Amino acid sequence: MSTQTLLNTLIAASEYALVGLSFAIIYVVARFFHFTHGAVLSSAAYVAYTAKAQLRLPLGLSIVLAISVAGLLGLVLELGVYRKLRRRGATKLTLLVASMGLYLVLQNAISLVFGDSVRVLRDLSHDKSIVFYGGRITNIQLWIILTTPMIFTLAWATLKFTRLGKILRAVANDSELANVVGIDVEKVTLIAFGVGSTLAGLAAVMISLNVDMTPTMGMNVLMMAIVVVIIGGVKSLRGIAVAAMLLAAVRHFGLIWIGAEWQDTTAFLLLSAFLLWRPQRLFGLPLRRASV
Amino acid sequence: MLRCQSLRKTFDGVHALEGVSLEFYSAGISAIIGPNGAGKTTLLNVITGFLKPDAGQCFLHDREVTRLPPHRIARLGIARTFQDLRLVRQITVLDNVMLACPRQQDERLLRGLLHWGVAREEARNREEAVRLLEDVGLKHEAERLAGEMSYGQQKLLTFACCLATKAQIIILDEPVAGVHPEMISHILDLMLRLRNDGKQVIFTEHDISAVRRVADEIVVMYGGRKIAQGAPREVLESPQIIEVYLA
Amino acid sequence: MAYLEHILILISIYTILAISLDLLVGHTGLLPISHAAFYGIGSYTSALLAIRLGVPFILGLLAGMCIAGLLSLLVSLHALRLREDYLAIATFSFQVIAFSLFNNWTRLTKGPLGIMGIPKPDIFGATINSSHLLLALSITLAGFSYAVITAIASSPFGRVLHAIREDELFAQSLGKNTFKYKLTAFTVSAALAGAAGSLYAHYVTYIDPTSYTVPESILVISMVIIGGAGSRWGPLVGAVTLVSIPEGLRLVGLQGPAAANLRQMIYGALLVVTIMIRPHGLMGKRGFRP
Repeated sequence: MSTQTLLNTLIAASEYALVGLSFAIIYVVARFFHFTHGAVLSSAAYVAYTAKAQLRLPLGLSIVLAISVAGLLGLVLELGVYRKLRRRGATKLTLLVASMGLYLVLQNAISLVFGDSVRVLRDLSHDKSIVFYGGRITNIQLWIILTTPMIFTLAWATLKFTRLGKILRAVANDSELANVVGIDVEKVTLIAFGVGSTLAGLAAVMISLNVDMTPTMGMNVLMMAIVVVIIGGVKSLRGIAVAAMLLAAVRHFGLIWIGAEWQDTTAFLLLSAFLLWRPQRLFGLPLRRASV
Repeated sequence: MLRCQSLRKTFDGVHALEGVSLEFYSAGISAIIGPNGAGKTTLLNVITGFLKPDAGQCFLHDREVTRLPPHRIARLGIARTFQDLRLVRQITVLDNVMLACPRQQDERLLRGLLHWGVAREEARNREEAVRLLEDVGLKHEAERLAGEMSYGQQKLLTFACCLATKAQIIILDEPVAGVHPEMISHILDLMLRLRNDGKQVIFTEHDISAVRRVADEIVVMYGGRKIAQGAPREVLESPQIIEVYLA
Repeated sequence: MAYLEHILILISIYTILAISLDLLVGHTGLLPISHAAFYGIGSYTSALLAIRLGVPFILGLLAGMCIAGLLSLLVSLHALRLREDYLAIATFSFQVIAFSLFNNWTRLTKGPLGIMGIPKPDIFGATINSSHLLLALSITLAGFSYAVITAIASSPFGRVLHAIREDELFAQSLGKNTFKYKLTAFTVSAALAGAAGSLYAHYVTYIDPTSYTVPESILVISMVIIGGAGSRWGPLVGAVTLVSIPEGLRLVGLQGPAAANLRQMIYGALLVVTIMIRPHGLMGKRGFRP
């Protein structure tokens, strides 16, 4: 078991966990799989790229811009599309299909403007790395590993101690009941989209500083994040963190036996196995068909 | 005979059923009453297989049916309606009833496709369905989309569907709730007719006057438990029950 | 003329895909994102049998259908027990795994290189080379698929599917084993997608994994929804509409990778617009929502 593999696992786990959290925040409130999130992720990265590489803005400003645009995009999607559909009685599936259509539009727009080849955000000359017990880790990778637990702790504290957190939990547990006790569920949904998309923006920027960007990078990491969120359970911070570690471990340590090209397959086989055998495990929402 | 033994069901910390044991004998109309949250609908859902109890068993004619899927229990001769009116609103009234006709060979894909004997069975079921609709008073609405009818008429339709299944035991969840007085009488009459035809009817209700009119026995539930079962007069006039309702 | 025939053949192939998917989306109320996977399974089965074992087209087609139908059980047996949106995820997983297999199991499928030299369809020894005959074959298969699905939809079996679409619990309370109905419908749908795959492979004579991706599944879903899910002619109209658009782009001179992106953008946009302003699609009845 090499230190490098362990480090890679931690980095990947952090990425999955962060994106997973950003997705889960939206999912527990909005109650549908908002696939467009993948495009929100990619958009953030490309905004940062445009700001820095094209507009020559400093990296810090570019990052702030990127994260803001991501948050804004989430709000626009909710206000412009999902809210309208929900008011007309759209089902989870309708919203899901709409989000797939929106994803196609956004992702291909990015491809049209920037092309499908890799774009680099980081300053290659500034790439510093430290050697740590035989494994090499770069600056940004260290940031990723350190920021993620901080954000999770912040999320935990917010959910537990603040009024917003309590309201969010109320809506996540039972939106009808929340409505009855006077919570403005629509406003909470908007907030969830804002927060979740902003967090996604942060995650996307960090990921693209680590491994550069392509238009589909957002969906690629989102797919893993969805696996993590389903297995870990949408309402459980701990579950998401554990599942992220599990998935990252399977992918990286699994490289010993299986080729890199099979990583996605293993991840989805893991998900399928989970859906088959233990759909109620790990603190999740019920996945089986509805009952009376 | 339908029998439940020590049924227990908890949801998220709420004890919906706490050791409920009941017996319903073969003929007649049994009413289950109790305040909201007493566990009436949960009990029905467990009996009909839509919920699995955490503990306890259900028996139908001494055969254990506790963990059977709902469609199996339906096939064993128990039909039911739901508190939130369940129907297929996008198809016609007649189609809804024909859906309910039992043991259709044509529902098997290949036979349906190749029309081996389809027409004959469909025609037979159709006749039967029309007759049923006439019995309940919906014949004139047969070709209308179920979703276009009034709430009371839709309730009548679900009743007709129960009849169409030819089930021996008919379970109705709040059959006269939300329905105007004329329709209430009509539905109660239909229930009495079922009883006279030898069927067993079990229903939950809040409307005590309706219960008085048709019930042969009353079961009272409260806080997930059965607290009384007996003839209407005894049960409704017992001081304990009156206290429960006023409490 | 040959160009027009080519478009019509493509429309026929997509019609088979759309109508078979509509059995699930429009008639049963399920949203699987795995249709392109079965399309691919049909293509690869048929192509490999023809090239490696010289199997004639009709048998290859049937084999493609059987294998697609059989493999569909791998996903339907667990996915159909899940709630609607988790069904979408489970089938999405299957789609990703299938693509991965097409792309990485190079010993079997030659991976990204694809399979070349697939023979044109042959019926009892006679090879069908001319575009007229190929069109006739395609239209026949499309017509056949349409007839099958329409017959199912108006049969008692279809009546149960419609009940499941609207209220599965109600259907169960009437004694219907809804799981079995969904499973049967899913298998039929997958088998027909496999047939479309087989036809496609022998028509274009070269296939590679990029034809069987998630966006392709979404494309077929779009055809169904834009055309009008559950309506009689919806899938056909959807197929015609969404096949014509990229061809329209080509006529206006847009080619190359940018055109591919633009095409997907248009599909996505049409899908969203349809859902927002006319959810019952072009041919669907008002008030019906998939």
